[in-house]
Amino acid sequence: MAKNDDLARIISGCKSGNAESFSELVDIYSSRLYGYFYRLTGNRESSDDLLSELFVKLVGKIRSFKGGSFEGWLFKIASNIFYDYLRDKQQQKKLFDAQKNLFEPEEVTYAKESDDERIDELQTQLGKLDTDTRELIMLRFYSQASFKEIAAMRSEPIGTTLSKLHRGLKKLQKLMEQK
Amino acid sequence: MTMNGETEENLKDLFEKLLNSEQAVEDIEKGERILRESAAPEPDDELIADIKAEITASLLHKKENAFVYKAAAIAAGFIILAIISVKLFETKIVQPPKPASNLIMPKAVWESERLADDGADSAALVDEVKQIESDLLAMQFGENGSNGYETVTEMETELTEINSDFWKG
Repeated sequence: MAKNDDLARIISGCKSGNAESFSELVDIYSSRLYGYFYRLTGNRESSDDLLSELFVKLVGKIRSFKGGSFEGWLFKIASNIFYDYLRDKQQQKKLFDAQKNLFEPEEVTYAKESDDERIDELQTQLGKLDTDTRELIMLRFYSQASFKEIAAMRSEPIGTTLSKLHRGLKKLQKLMEQK
Repeated sequence: MTMNGETEENLKDLFEKLLNSEQAVEDIEKGERILRESAAPEPDDELIADIKAEITASLLHKKENAFVYKAAAIAAGFIILAIISVKLFETKIVQPPKPASNLIMPKAVWESERLADDGADSAALVDEVKQIESDLLAMQFGENGSNGYETVTEMETELTEINSDFWKG
């Protein structure tokens, strides 16, 4: 974890368009952001794409960071990117289903996204939680932002954030015990 | 990785205050432990290298765009400056003074081809010119008993003086 002074220097370098500073930022945050995307999508290929998209977007957006928690700001962008991805995927699924009903009335088995990957147990159980709860748990875990910041990011009262997180983690714990 | 990191909050206080539950703190801690024990995969080195290359290309593209915009802005500035200069120059061109005669006669009378129709004053002026013309001819031919040529020369000199006095005002 970069110290505040180091982080301030790196962000300042990024704002000046310094490629080296962006490289440092990638080194610091890529692991956590990748974990966040992977736990939400369950797919390495999508996580690769989303991580790339995030850092390229960051080049254009870094000047709009006006201080405060950088992690909070960064993960808010990551969260928006994830929800955009989800919307695109849902639209694709709708189109795909419509096409399937029109042209392929017979049942066809399609390969799952993660068939070629080792799916760990946590990933399986996380998939049983609703998207909003899963995103909240991952946001809290990987961004390391405070509950206050997370509540602000999600535009909801802190009590709502806390109770949602509590319910989500309790459910996850039960699911993991039942495996 | 810890869930709280450097923005550590007192979960116990927070939960007791907002949810009024000690059990909630325990549930949260257990959940965190599960997440810590099952680490997500790390991004490939190749992916990280690609991202860095993409960022460098994006920065380069941004710099090129910034240069083009700057050059366009400077060119636009020069064009605007040139237009303003031309406008200012045009307004500064001094119009030649109107002939003094304009002050004596109305413009319409001055420019008219038919002086006799332009009013009583103009008609009188025309008559006077005709009179002078016939007097001059008479003098030239010595009809009034004088040396015609000399008299005409004297008259011309006098008229020239009157003319120059008239224009001097």
